[in-house]
Amino acid sequence: MAASNVYGAETAPAESPPRILVVDDEYGVRSAVRQILEMEGYRVTEAATAGEALALVAAADPEGGYDVVLLDHRLPDSDGLTLHKRMVAEGRELMTCMITAYADIDLACAATFQGIDFFLAKPFLPDELLGVVETLVRRRQARHEAERLRREHEANLLALAEEKTQTRSLIASLRDAVLVVNREGHVVLVNEAMAGLLGAAEGDLLHRPVTEVFLGGPLASLLHPLQKSLKDRTVGQLLLGERTFAYSIVTFRGEDDSALGRIVTLSDISEIRRLALEKERFIRTMVHELKSPLGAVRSLIEVTTDKSLGDDLDAYLPLLHRAEERIDGLVRLINDLLLLSRSEQALAPNEPELQELAPALAEAVAAQAEPIAKAGLSTHLEIEPNLPPVLLPAEDLSLILANLIGNAVKYNRPGGTVTVRAHREDRWVRLDVEDSGIGISPENLDRVFTEFFREKRPETRDLEGSGLGLAIVKRLVERAGGRVQVQSAQGLGSTFSVFLPA
Amino acid sequence: MNDTRNESEADRQWTILFIDDDRDFLAAQAAFFKARGHRVHTAESGHEALELLDDLAATGSALPDLIFLDLMMEHVDTGFRLAHTLRRRSELADVPLVMLSGVARETGRRFDHEGQRLLAWSRLDRFLDKPVTGKRLLAVAEELLKGDGAQHP
Repeated sequence: MAASNVYGAETAPAESPPRILVVDDEYGVRSAVRQILEMEGYRVTEAATAGEALALVAAADPEGGYDVVLLDHRLPDSDGLTLHKRMVAEGRELMTCMITAYADIDLACAATFQGIDFFLAKPFLPDELLGVVETLVRRRQARHEAERLRREHEANLLALAEEKTQTRSLIASLRDAVLVVNREGHVVLVNEAMAGLLGAAEGDLLHRPVTEVFLGGPLASLLHPLQKSLKDRTVGQLLLGERTFAYSIVTFRGEDDSALGRIVTLSDISEIRRLALEKERFIRTMVHELKSPLGAVRSLIEVTTDKSLGDDLDAYLPLLHRAEERIDGLVRLINDLLLLSRSEQALAPNEPELQELAPALAEAVAAQAEPIAKAGLSTHLEIEPNLPPVLLPAEDLSLILANLIGNAVKYNRPGGTVTVRAHREDRWVRLDVEDSGIGISPENLDRVFTEFFREKRPETRDLEGSGLGLAIVKRLVERAGGRVQVQSAQGLGSTFSVFLPA
Repeated sequence: MNDTRNESEADRQWTILFIDDDRDFLAAQAAFFKARGHRVHTAESGHEALELLDDLAATGSALPDLIFLDLMMEHVDTGFRLAHTLRRRSELADVPLVMLSGVARETGRRFDHEGQRLLAWSRLDRFLDKPVTGKRLLAVAEELLKGDGAQHP
């Protein structure tokens, strides 16, 4: 019987009258049985032959089928034992009583052996028949109920096992470290992440006292809250070497609200913490960079309103020109902050397009014509012929080139050179922008791409800049799938290299 | 120039040292304080400040009565280190030190647990938020140098 029918069958026999099938070739016997049973509220169906009986049984739906079959041994087309065997073979669960006038020990033994439930000898009294049928119906219902319970229990166990397996694999797959201790303080569950933290195999940790597992180890400080805390939930942070963990210890309770044990969870929040600190540092620096020019302008104006330099307006002009320049610098800084923020978006706001490097480079150099002429710099462009195009938004490419070439001009020495080389290298298009300028000190080389980083040296004192240009370059290049690199010799010059996918 | 300014402050001339990496700020404060008859020295870095102090000592010139110094110069904490260095010079041990910072509020919060120790360590007299006006600096100077003007004529 299919599982779905089990629950349906549970009410059917109890509510509808039990159904009895009488198989006997003698009409007299059949009608006598029918009369006796129908008076007691049974529903009776008759069959005269084995074939008829099989057809009826087969036609009956499995749920509302016959509860009891009364079976004559001698049938015109077969015998009772064979018929029973065939009904059982059909998968019918029936309570069967064999009724025969030819009762002997051999037949009784064979019938019992075959699983026939009762044996009634002809002739029988109505009460005898009723007693047998009643017993069989009750037995059938009891068997039904037992079967239903067994299946239900089995299904529950299966669901439970499945749930447990699911929970276990869920916990095992967690990146967070999880450990469960029972009321006795023994480890009853531990996942891989936790085992890794404790430096032991999962199997070696199970069923051991948690005191033993934690003591002297990285989580020793959790023992106190784990064993002594009266709160149902303790949270905190824990430093393990370089890494920061957020931990929580939660008490889990049974249905009667008694504590069953505690769950220890540790999540690695190092990266979140690092990002938070980085953001804090960025904002602090940004505030400083915004406030400095404002403070300078504020002071320069105060000198004027205070008439610190007397009544001659001309005396103030140098200061006021500086104020103008500082305000211009502030505007540039704010624009660069916007560019930086835009370069942080994972997807370029503009569609990437295939760009030819040569014309873009020529344009970027031409844009610097004025400062180049002013510093008496000479420029060299060495671009490999048939260079493959690179894929990125046009705005991004011109920003990258403007920043790199702008820097090469700005941090150069009078009469120096700016050399721009582009060639294919493996699967990259490599662009080098080389200057003959002041260079970068070795200890600061890996910081030049950091926001707001500017080397403070006597040579850079008069050079203005937001300190965001290279940070923007790095992000734009990386967004295009490339990378940046810098080489420098202090006092001799720097070479910034950009690798873009060919 | 304003007459009352000269009258009220003529007898209280100070030597003030400003240490700040913002040249415009230095120029403005120098103009503002000089207009009131004070002597002003400026330095754009801690290194430059120490050199200047050495020069003043070597030439027997008046040492500063008051030092204003910026917190965030070459490094985030340059001001603190410099204050500590200045304090270790016996001739500057009692000179009021006023720290200026554009991130005083932000760092103040961060330094909550550590701030008192840092202030004590560098023995700062004041911590002022930037931007700051010359008038405010003047008021702080007057408060710190009350009756002290005559020591360094």
